Amino acid sequence: MRRFFASTFVFLFVTLLVAGVSAQGAKKGAVRPKAAISIGPKVTQIDLEGLRGLLKPKGKPLVINFWATWCDPCREEFPQLVKLDAAYKGKIDFATVSFDDLVDIRTTVPKFLRQMKAQMPAYLLITPDENAAIELISKDWEGNLPLTMIFNADGSVAYMHKGAIAYSAVTAEVDKLLAQPSAGK
Amino acid sequence: MKRLFLLALIVGLFALAASGQGLKIGATMENFSLPDTNGAVQTLDSLKGEKGALIVFLSAQCPVVKGYHDRINEIAAAYKSKGINFIGINSNATEDLAWVKSNIAEYGYQFPVLIDKNNVFADKLNAQSTPEVFYVDASRKLVYHGAIDNDRGGDNVTQPYLKTAFEESLSGKAVSQPNTHAIGCTIKRANQ
Repeated sequence: MRRFFASTFVFLFVTLLVAGVSAQGAKKGAVRPKAAISIGPKVTQIDLEGLRGLLKPKGKPLVINFWATWCDPCREEFPQLVKLDAAYKGKIDFATVSFDDLVDIRTTVPKFLRQMKAQMPAYLLITPDENAAIELISKDWEGNLPLTMIFNADGSVAYMHKGAIAYSAVTAEVDKLLAQPSAGK
Repeated sequence: MKRLFLLALIVGLFALAASGQGLKIGATMENFSLPDTNGAVQTLDSLKGEKGALIVFLSAQCPVVKGYHDRINEIAAAYKSKGINFIGINSNATEDLAWVKSNIAEYGYQFPVLIDKNNVFADKLNAQSTPEVFYVDASRKLVYHGAIDNDRGGDNVTQPYLKTAFEESLSGKAVSQPNTHAIGCTIKRANQ
């Protein structure tokens, strides 16, 4: 009788243990869809004030690319930007600012950035006054994408290119800035 | 001879600088000639209405133009009866005539679209994006340049820049905001 109780207890214990483990597995499984929602790098939403802060260099030459996923030349030039970021990591600050819709911040934009293996900080600008944003970025810009700008460490504009970049032209400008005695200090 | 060369160089440089700046508000637009999609040469004077013309740079492939085409048609129809005629310009080297023609049919433009081969006209105005508009009055004086409104999607328009410019101009007032900007597609130039 005692043996019967003992074996029943062991059976129940093992059953509960297995059930517990599988329940944990189920919990882990339940987390998976959440992970699947995160489909790329974090894209931070900014407004006009956020943009103003972003345009201020923080001691290093600053490269900012303005783009959107719906813009063909923006997508085409992106591998060059990723290459630029990798080549100058630590020497310059590099960020991208998307003009996509807010609905794209967790879908289209991070998905594309993941495809590109982009590691630079990514922002998405949402403002009811894009006219003001464009004027803040540059008085010489009509708002046509893409736009790539390089700022000196003191905040002045060193280079501005409307349309898809030529990699060598941008690296030449960055190299010129980095060769200056005050660069990166 | 040396002086003459220097003078020519200076004049040339000034001309180059001026062309890069495009047309300023208040300046007079030249009576340009460009072919339409049937090859017939059209001029600004032959196309403009009693109260002027709206020149809109278009693109068949630009998603922003796609988002705007209903509003462009609506505004074009509303102001044609008030004497302002729309003229579309396609300066994109990446869009051939067949594509432009099929796009006109698809978007239902009821105004002429002219072909700006090698973006000569876009360069003169320093037009950069699509859709980008230039509104000239009856005397071809530029009174408004820039965006149609402040919302690409069209659901949250709070600043109907172009309509406001039309209304102000038609009522004899100075346009309160003659220059605006909006996110758009880069005109695909032949030399890029």
